[in-house]
Amino acid sequence: MTTPLLEVTDLHTHFEARSGTVKSVDGISLHLERGEILGLVGESGSGKSITGFSLIGLIDKPGRIVQGSIKLEGRELVGLNETELRKIRGREISMVFQDPMMTLNPVLSVLDQMTMALRAHENLSNADARVRCVEALRQVRIVDPEQKVDFYPHQFSGGMRQRVAIAIALLHKPKVVIADEPTTALDVSVQAEILVEVKALVAELGISMIWISHDLATVASISKRIAVMKSGKIVETGPAGDVLRAPAHPYTQLLLDALPSRAKPGQLLGARARETDASDESDVTVAVEPDPDFVTVKGAIKRFEWKTGFWGRIGERLGVVKQKKAVLAVNDVSLSIARGEALGLVGESGSGKSTLGRMVCGIYRPSEGEIRLAGAPVMLENQLGRKLTTKVQMIFQDPFASLDPRRTIGQSIAEGPIAHGLTTRAGARSYVAKWLEAVSLDPAVADRYPHQFSGGQRQRVAIARALAMRPDVIVCDEPVASLDVSIQAQILNLLLTLRKELGLTLLFISHDLSVVRHLCDRVAVMYRGRIVEEGTAEEIFRTPKDAYTKMLLEAIPRLA
Amino acid sequence: MTATLSKPRTSFGFWAEFCRHPAAVAAAVAVVAIIVLAVFAPLIAPQDPYDLSNLVLRDARKAPGYVGQGGYIHILGTDSQGRDLFSAILYGLRISLQMGLVAGAIAFTIGALVGSTAAYVGGRFEAFVMRLVDLQLSFPAILLAFVVAALLGQGKSQLIVALVFSQYAYFVRTAHGAASAERHKDYVEAALSVPMSGWFVVTRHILPNALPPLIVVATVQVASAISLEATLSFLGVGLPPTEPSLGMLISTGFQYLLSGRYWISIYPGVALIVLIMAINIVGDQVRDQLNPRLKK
Amino acid sequence: MIAFIVRRIWQAMLVMLVMSMLVFLGVFVIGNPVDVLISPDATQEIRQRVIAQYGLDLPVWQQYLHFMNSLLHGDLGRSFVYNMPVSELIASRLPATMELAVIAILLASVVGIPLGVYAGYKPDSWLSKAIMALSILGFSVPTFWIGLMLIMVFAVQLGIMPAGGRGETVTLFGVPWSFLTPTGLHHLALPAINLSLFKMSMMIRLAASGTREVMLTDTIKFARAAGIDEHTILRKHVLRLISIPLVTVFGLELGSTIAFAVVTETIYSWPGLGKLIIDSITSLDRPVMVAYLMLVSLLFITINLAVDLAYAVLDPRMRKGGGK
Repeated sequence: MTTPLLEVTDLHTHFEARSGTVKSVDGISLHLERGEILGLVGESGSGKSITGFSLIGLIDKPGRIVQGSIKLEGRELVGLNETELRKIRGREISMVFQDPMMTLNPVLSVLDQMTMALRAHENLSNADARVRCVEALRQVRIVDPEQKVDFYPHQFSGGMRQRVAIAIALLHKPKVVIADEPTTALDVSVQAEILVEVKALVAELGISMIWISHDLATVASISKRIAVMKSGKIVETGPAGDVLRAPAHPYTQLLLDALPSRAKPGQLLGARARETDASDESDVTVAVEPDPDFVTVKGAIKRFEWKTGFWGRIGERLGVVKQKKAVLAVNDVSLSIARGEALGLVGESGSGKSTLGRMVCGIYRPSEGEIRLAGAPVMLENQLGRKLTTKVQMIFQDPFASLDPRRTIGQSIAEGPIAHGLTTRAGARSYVAKWLEAVSLDPAVADRYPHQFSGGQRQRVAIARALAMRPDVIVCDEPVASLDVSIQAQILNLLLTLRKELGLTLLFISHDLSVVRHLCDRVAVMYRGRIVEEGTAEEIFRTPKDAYTKMLLEAIPRLA
Repeated sequence: MTATLSKPRTSFGFWAEFCRHPAAVAAAVAVVAIIVLAVFAPLIAPQDPYDLSNLVLRDARKAPGYVGQGGYIHILGTDSQGRDLFSAILYGLRISLQMGLVAGAIAFTIGALVGSTAAYVGGRFEAFVMRLVDLQLSFPAILLAFVVAALLGQGKSQLIVALVFSQYAYFVRTAHGAASAERHKDYVEAALSVPMSGWFVVTRHILPNALPPLIVVATVQVASAISLEATLSFLGVGLPPTEPSLGMLISTGFQYLLSGRYWISIYPGVALIVLIMAINIVGDQVRDQLNPRLKK
Repeated sequence: MIAFIVRRIWQAMLVMLVMSMLVFLGVFVIGNPVDVLISPDATQEIRQRVIAQYGLDLPVWQQYLHFMNSLLHGDLGRSFVYNMPVSELIASRLPATMELAVIAILLASVVGIPLGVYAGYKPDSWLSKAIMALSILGFSVPTFWIGLMLIMVFAVQLGIMPAGGRGETVTLFGVPWSFLTPTGLHHLALPAINLSLFKMSMMIRLAASGTREVMLTDTIKFARAAGIDEHTILRKHVLRLISIPLVTVFGLELGSTIAFAVVTETIYSWPGLGKLIIDSITSLDRPVMVAYLMLVSLLFITINLAVDLAYAVLDPRMRKGGGK
């Protein structure tokens, strides 16, 4: 190997803002060999995506490359003008983005969009373009490409859309493909398929790829060599096996320690926490009366129906209008949670797990069936869905959306307890302070608004709000899904500790099997509105019986 | 409300951003200045234009700068009846602003209440209200206002009814859109799952968060109400001659326009345009700042 | 698709029925046309005869049924003032208004959309800022005032344009049109520009804000990453993505332009429907008012229907069901 295919030296990309300069990429150097997949790992804000955009010359204003060099086969790319860069983009370097829902144009057919990309660099007739597009779709394993080429994006599933995006990126057989979190928005099973296919395509076409991701495990399963980024710098590069087995940089170590899949279930995550782990057992634990059927869900069904107007109904009767089918989000589910137990509810998007969680928490009323807490119904039946109990509370996925932006966090935490007599207006301040301390936040922040907090801090506030109602049961709907691994570890640790201290019963909803295994005693697997398998965490992960559970477990990317 | 916990919302960021746009700041200053001028018109105006004893026919239709019988310098000239045009414009602004603001406030209140209730209640009520509003919105405001004004006859309150009738639907739709977007957000579900009462959720969570887009619509609608009022008065179905708004001044000056006495019609027009434009520029800037899709 | 059209036509008919009742009732309370029709000196006998002749002595619902009955037979009644069939009266005025409105809205789109797309594409350039500033001006200045200014400058000061009237017409398909003759065009120019300025500002603002939002999406970034040139991105991606709101506005504004013509026609003495309706309101000419309002309703409903159909053509997500 004389010169590497792509060589980046001392690259600096800065964003000049009014508040000062943000050094998103702060002097990174890396190289990419022919036929190689380089994994670029980092948490949000590490500059990994900006690195990708710098390579392809597409940095949003006011960002620009202030220093450094990018050489493709020895040719300098930094400083090329827009016309020259455009000749390179798509033909020599191309890119795949995170969310296929956002990248494809919803009002143009796949053929139109692919033809446009083809004609960016080649002159060809409509007939030839069609042949090439069909071929490109076949290459990314799209079944029946002759028909599918005329489809519009909305007619494809998420995974299929991402395949189309990959096909567009590969149209001109570029030398380098930059893939920016291409599987993050997809379900694990789809992600697993795409990982296998991309690996095969890279080998088949002899192209090189930079795979950018926040997920160490995904990167480890696709690339031989990885680079770890933090605050605009590459802190460590090396063969995937070496980096994961014996990380040289403390940050890499920290990332690895934060992964629940590497820890013993129930153990606190992170290096420092591990030392104090043994003494954890002596913590005060609240004694609760055992009750194996504390929360019961019996034959719960949730149907989402389309509203049909007067003329619609007449149309249906006449047969001119197609009857819209009701969506069965949850289809005849029964389960029970023992007092003090943590039940994990696992499933992919659309499995109905969130809907089930919302019914348990009394946000949605089941269309049929009943949900009881300690023998009493959670919601009044046959009424306008009034919730009867305050003993079950919820923590939501997106901490940015779950707090009212116009109320201080103190107001948000206090409103429920005041309305239900758990505290008085006068006592609210100290009451709020107590719960903020419980989630390790400074009580002085009670007067701040949500936008003044980071994602992890907001999730703590959301937990404090739920706890302040003194619930017995907390429904956690993907509470760590939108957080970085290191923050995720902190929140998981907090939940583990609080659960023990307060004797909480948890219904923990997640798509992430390793998180569920770490936190939960028992696991229920949901697929298309039904529970397909249920058992202790140990049983499910060691000896899954259901085919879907097996497939899910196999699809999890593993570290080396 | 937990008085112990509440503290004014920090909105420095919003104002700082607003202040970076000189045109918007100038417009905001202009709006405030015009409101001050209109409110204190009786104190500022050199002449009470509707005190008939002040009118001297010999002063009629004189060009700007003319020194009249009363000893005033008519800096903007005089109108067909010898009134000081500057004073007439100040009084006209008063009436125009009054019409726009009152009609806007009434339409705002109706719209916010009906729209957010429809979004919260849902079902048939929501479907019925929104269908009605959509139907009305497909007809141009000017036509509705024109027909209603013609039906009711001339007069201040009649005109306000016509303006409200032609504009409330915009508020209903905006309030409904904003409120139903908030209705399904996690923080509202969080409050409902506590459970908090529906009234608490609507008044403390949904309405405050649905307010910003409504305020933007309100600025635009006040501006358009002022324009609409002027247009109706110009067409002769708006205010009676005893309530000379800017539209009326322009209308009466129109006949002299062709004979070259431009000022009688032009200066009231300039005042009207400055007012409407200033409100629109402020509204435009606020809208841009509130548009989440323009934030990177 | 057919089901959709059938349903919309049903709805449209229902809406028309409701509108006809509202219009009829509204016009009924506006005042008593008897006072206008008959001179105060007329004897009681003559009054009675005239009232009976126009059916004004019947209760409202009977008058309404009578009106609906003749409507179904294609008879819109006779104008009290012009003493001729309303349908003829409207037919004679409609072409003038239609050509004014259509030319104005086309002008607004042809000029406004490219300017708006440019302003949204390069929001920071001085030209864009100028375009946006002008559009706020155009949006703020009342149509009637622009009309006055145009007359003052081009007709009074410069004397190069006529201040009013319609100019010569030629008959095409049995309808007189003025945009086909030189003097007709000459007379049409000012009112058409006057009418189009407000709409043009709206088109500019809509196209600009749409373009600005679209340019920030991943769709455009992805297209750029594929090496597609900016011209193609604007022409194919951006225009297609912003076309949906633009078509809605185009449709609705076509209707509202016809209504706004009320103002423009008054200023320029344009012999169209707008002048007719103003005159008929002041002279309480009920049949003309009812017919005009019904016609406008019909126009709006037709346009709404056309806009909905255009959606289906422009947005594949609406065409083939499914999806989200």
